[in-house]
Amino acid sequence: MSSEPVIRCMGVGKAFQLYRHQNDQLKQILFGLWKKFYHEKWVLNDVSFNVGKGERVGIVGRNGAGKTTLLQILCGITAPTKGAFAVTGRIAPILALGSGFDGLLTGRENARIGAAILGLSRRQVDARIERIKEFADVGSSFEQPMRTYSSGMIARVAFAICAYADADILVVDEALSVGDEVFQKKCEFYIADFAKNGAILLVSHDLNFLETLCDRVLWLDNGVVRKAGDPATVIAHYREAMLAN
Amino acid sequence: MIRLSPVSAPLTAYVEPFERAWRHRELIRAVARREFISRFRGSMLGPLWAVLSPLVMLLAYTVLFSITLPQLAAGKSVAEYASGIFVGLILFTLFSELAYRAPMLLHEHVNFVKKSIFPSETIAWTSVIRAFTYGGISFAVFIVFRLATGGPLPWTLLFTPFLAIPYALFILGVVWFLMALGAFTRDVAHVMASIVPILMFATPVFYRLDQLPPNIAFWLRLNLVGDYIEMFRGVALDGQLPNLFAYVAVVALSYAVFLFGYRFFMRYKSVIVDVI
Repeated sequence: MSSEPVIRCMGVGKAFQLYRHQNDQLKQILFGLWKKFYHEKWVLNDVSFNVGKGERVGIVGRNGAGKTTLLQILCGITAPTKGAFAVTGRIAPILALGSGFDGLLTGRENARIGAAILGLSRRQVDARIERIKEFADVGSSFEQPMRTYSSGMIARVAFAICAYADADILVVDEALSVGDEVFQKKCEFYIADFAKNGAILLVSHDLNFLETLCDRVLWLDNGVVRKAGDPATVIAHYREAMLAN
Repeated sequence: MIRLSPVSAPLTAYVEPFERAWRHRELIRAVARREFISRFRGSMLGPLWAVLSPLVMLLAYTVLFSITLPQLAAGKSVAEYASGIFVGLILFTLFSELAYRAPMLLHEHVNFVKKSIFPSETIAWTSVIRAFTYGGISFAVFIVFRLATGGPLPWTLLFTPFLAIPYALFILGVVWFLMALGAFTRDVAHVMASIVPILMFATPVFYRLDQLPPNIAFWLRLNLVGDYIEMFRGVALDGQLPNLFAYVAVVALSYAVFLFGYRFFMRYKSVIVDVI
């Protein structure tokens, strides 16, 4: 582990406000000082961990354990209810499927916008768009509207954009499992190479994949870190618990 | 929660919206471009429509007013009256189009907002830029039309940017406010759909404020959209610079609306992601 963590997560917790009616949200804003219109559901509770430079950290956990929410917080998409976190460097997130793509636009146009979201200038995008296309390797579909894409092709484009975003931290949320063998190999290769300079946070249900690729695995259970450490040990415990159920 | 980002000093708070927009300028440009592309995709005439539709509207108004209601012109020529209405309409349409659309903006961009690290406040910038580009094209068509029909073009026309920019800021503030509100309840869209047409009657689009009794005109001056229309007519048609005091007051108010809208949006930005 490196001395300076690029991600520091200190007691992060997230509660969603659940409303009986959608309009209670507005009432909460208007009259929130006097009355509470919601009840809270804590999906994350006191999560603390560090990710150092050059580390590949995997996250496992059942559906609804809070994995995606944790990644969304670290990316700054949603704010934590309690705790604090610090991220040094640029994050490139590959979150779930179709992250922010417009089905009417072509792969190329979406790639340009995606790269701009990640903070690339127009000149940088111009210089890299052909390499992004090559990495995505979706052939002539790159010039077709993205609504015609399969889920695997969408993941390819999403990954290709992040691959050329000069990111310091890569955050991947189950986006790779829909790709075919060829693409998965390509990604594994890229991730291994990326880890030399940057940090990676990976969420996956492919336990073998995590075991081979990660330096450390975090087991998230009901919003708390149940176990963290050596991939083989944590994953073995996780498997056991899953089977016991 | 511990604040890890530096707290902004009081003075920089006033320029913060611009700072953030500048930081995301590439994104704003890319998304604005996307809107232009997707708007004209699949149409044969393409961007030509941006010129054609205002031209058709302009002709329709001129024809309409040359055969009906010349008495409304109140001593002015029919072309002059039609021009006044057209300027009023361009400015009011800018406002109404965005006021209708703003409450739904976040819902339209839900993929961006929820699934990527998208600075959602830039949506207001792109939609305002888009609307003002079309407005600008309409205005250019109008100028050409006026030249062609022999209307005078006063030098004060050069002053239009100084009206257009604060007007854009005012509308940006309104868009931010409605965007945030619209995320919480879809009723806002319906409310706007019933308020905006009424607002049009309270705005000097089809008339001028000096045609009204002074005590009514006084109240209508509180409507910023109307003030801008009147000042715009002044510089574009009558060759008349706005009263300095009125101008400063309107710009200051617009800036206040701009800042308020921005703060309101940013205040609820993190909550919006969870509710949309």
